Amino acid sequence: MESTARKYWKMKKENFSYGLYKAKKMKVCYLFLLPYAALFIAFFILPIATSIYYSFTYYNILEAPRFIGFQNYINLILQDEVFLTAVKNTFVIAVITGPIGYILSFLFAWFINELPRWLRTIAVVVFYAPSIAGNAFYIFSIIFRGDAYGYLNSFLLQFGFIDAPLLWLTDPKYILPVIIVVILWMSMGTGFLSFVAGLQGVDRSMYEAGYVDGIRNRWQELYYITLPSMKPMLLFGAVMAITQAFNVCDVPRALAGYPSTDYAARTIVTHLFDYGFSRFEMGYASAIATVLFLVMILCNKVIQNALRKVGT
Amino acid sequence: MSSKKKIQHIKPPETNDRVDQLRYLAQIRGELEIEEEKPKLNMKRFLIISLCVLLVLSAGLVFCHLKIDDINLYNQALDAGEVTGDFDASVSYYMLGQVAAIALMVIYVIFMVVKIWHPKRRKPNRSFWGDLGIYLVMLLFAVAMAFPLVFSICSALKPLDELFRFPPKVFPQHVTMDNFSDLFVTMGQSWIPFSRYLTNTVFITFIGTFGHVVIASMAAFVLAKYDFPGGKFFFSVVVTALMFSGYVTGIPNYVIMSRLGMIDTYWAIILPAFAAPIGLFLMKQFMEGLPTALIEAAHIDGAGEFRIFWSIIMPNVKPAWLTIIIFSVQNLWNTNAATVIYSEEKKTLVYALQQIQAGGIARTGQAAAVTVIVMLVPITIFILSQSQILETMASSGLKD
Repeated sequence: MESTARKYWKMKKENFSYGLYKAKKMKVCYLFLLPYAALFIAFFILPIATSIYYSFTYYNILEAPRFIGFQNYINLILQDEVFLTAVKNTFVIAVITGPIGYILSFLFAWFINELPRWLRTIAVVVFYAPSIAGNAFYIFSIIFRGDAYGYLNSFLLQFGFIDAPLLWLTDPKYILPVIIVVILWMSMGTGFLSFVAGLQGVDRSMYEAGYVDGIRNRWQELYYITLPSMKPMLLFGAVMAITQAFNVCDVPRALAGYPSTDYAARTIVTHLFDYGFSRFEMGYASAIATVLFLVMILCNKVIQNALRKVGT
Repeated sequence: MSSKKKIQHIKPPETNDRVDQLRYLAQIRGELEIEEEKPKLNMKRFLIISLCVLLVLSAGLVFCHLKIDDINLYNQALDAGEVTGDFDASVSYYMLGQVAAIALMVIYVIFMVVKIWHPKRRKPNRSFWGDLGIYLVMLLFAVAMAFPLVFSICSALKPLDELFRFPPKVFPQHVTMDNFSDLFVTMGQSWIPFSRYLTNTVFITFIGTFGHVVIASMAAFVLAKYDFPGGKFFFSVVVTALMFSGYVTGIPNYVIMSRLGMIDTYWAIILPAFAAPIGLFLMKQFMEGLPTALIEAAHIDGAGEFRIFWSIIMPNVKPAWLTIIIFSVQNLWNTNAATVIYSEEKKTLVYALQQIQAGGIARTGQAAAVTVIVMLVPITIFILSQSQILETMASSGLKD
């Protein structure tokens, strides 16, 4: 027993010293990595670490952080009703826009792939433009405006679907659906581009072979050939979709106001923003950030595992 | 029918298409069912029927249009008190009819185009009705996707009275550039000149993007092409970091920035942008596609690592550069950075424009003009560099 343990440690030590030797030999690699790594650690890793640390403290920037244990998390769950609303809204938005946006991105990338080249270029621009158009979602505040001059209201009034203009952006009943529509509109982002590019790279001869082997329609082709060979892009697209689905902040703030009526458009990120930059309760805000971060990591793990099984 | 007779019915392929040849072989071997010859499309009859359908639809369109004009005139006369009677509210039905007629025409034209140009057996496993359905769904979604963008451009070109008319129209009747000139007047009156905001954004975008490309490519080069302890781990951390948005890290970042004394300087925006994970990720995935022999050959010729990086790798990854430039420009151009920059003279363009957008109903036209200005830059860059971006994205997959 003892000898096995000793052997194990000896092996570990050897591995380690070999690694050290290798590292010394590859010194120049670290030199190349250094500028990026330093900035990355300073502005991405360190913030996450300090965020976790601050989440256990009371910190308001003026005074030094005071350690209060799990108090922030307890308050978050037991006392902060707005946070629970925010969690509910975020999950509703994420569960609807994440999968639908992801599937639509893939489907349209797949449809676009069948088009002739010049049409494909136009189609990619049309579908991708909303997600890079800056704050173009602002225009929805005109389309969904609450008075009769709002485009949707006047349209519905004209055709007699409604008698009086609806307050799309102030009535808690309508805020969330409107936001979901706007986010879906913006959801064909980086993942969509990755799909379009990936589909063009699928080996043509596989389709020919598939045809001879008895694949009869486009859906079988999609399931047996296209999806398995697109797996890396699907994984990347999933990461992007999760990021987008959980980090909803600008759209509700611009459309529904900040704060919105009855907190109907409050998401975890706007809640975090409120505590961090309006009330300067950094400790509490950090607890919110940590929760969001953990949820996203967990979600990512689950989805990546599920996607690995596609087509196998 | 005996099998020999059956084989005689199989036509040898006329073209050199590989799929056709494979199909032919499979049919001869009896592994594939023989497709029956489909009757050829009777072009003359098809065109005549199409013409009739289109004529009927356009007659309906014209009828609805005339009817709407009639009713409008009648209602106006009613308003003016020239005639007596009830208000005729059936306009909306005729408008619905108009829309339906136009929609049917579009659908039928697509049907015609696909039917005439649908290539026989260009690709296997594609049915005519499937293609038609997909084109229709795509057209529908493309219109829906483009509508808000078109609407914002149109709103920016509308004069004030058209912005607030009921019922509103999508397309402007009298195109004007008033909103843009008003915007410049408003910006000119502000405390800080407009050009200052523009300079700030251009400066931040330029420096941030340049540094990001250089630093991220250096890191991507060693991560992609050398195997050294810790490299794989570092990359997996970067992949996880793809999920961190600026909001999650915003608060501790603020604290770190204030410790470093960088609050209210451009560096608070630029330095985090240098380390954006998406750039490193795309660059590394693209560089992995370069042949390792290239580097080995350079080693044998006596080039140092930096030389290899600068004069061999960098010229070969131009598409990837362009891509990460786009992502970086798009990110920096759209930052408002209100949380880390307090001085008015250091604020970004987007921040200033958002203040105008927040100006309420009186500034609707100007706000639309702002939206157009902000969205034109990234979209134009994307259109110009689309093929390179797609080339890079082809290697963007996450391998296990």
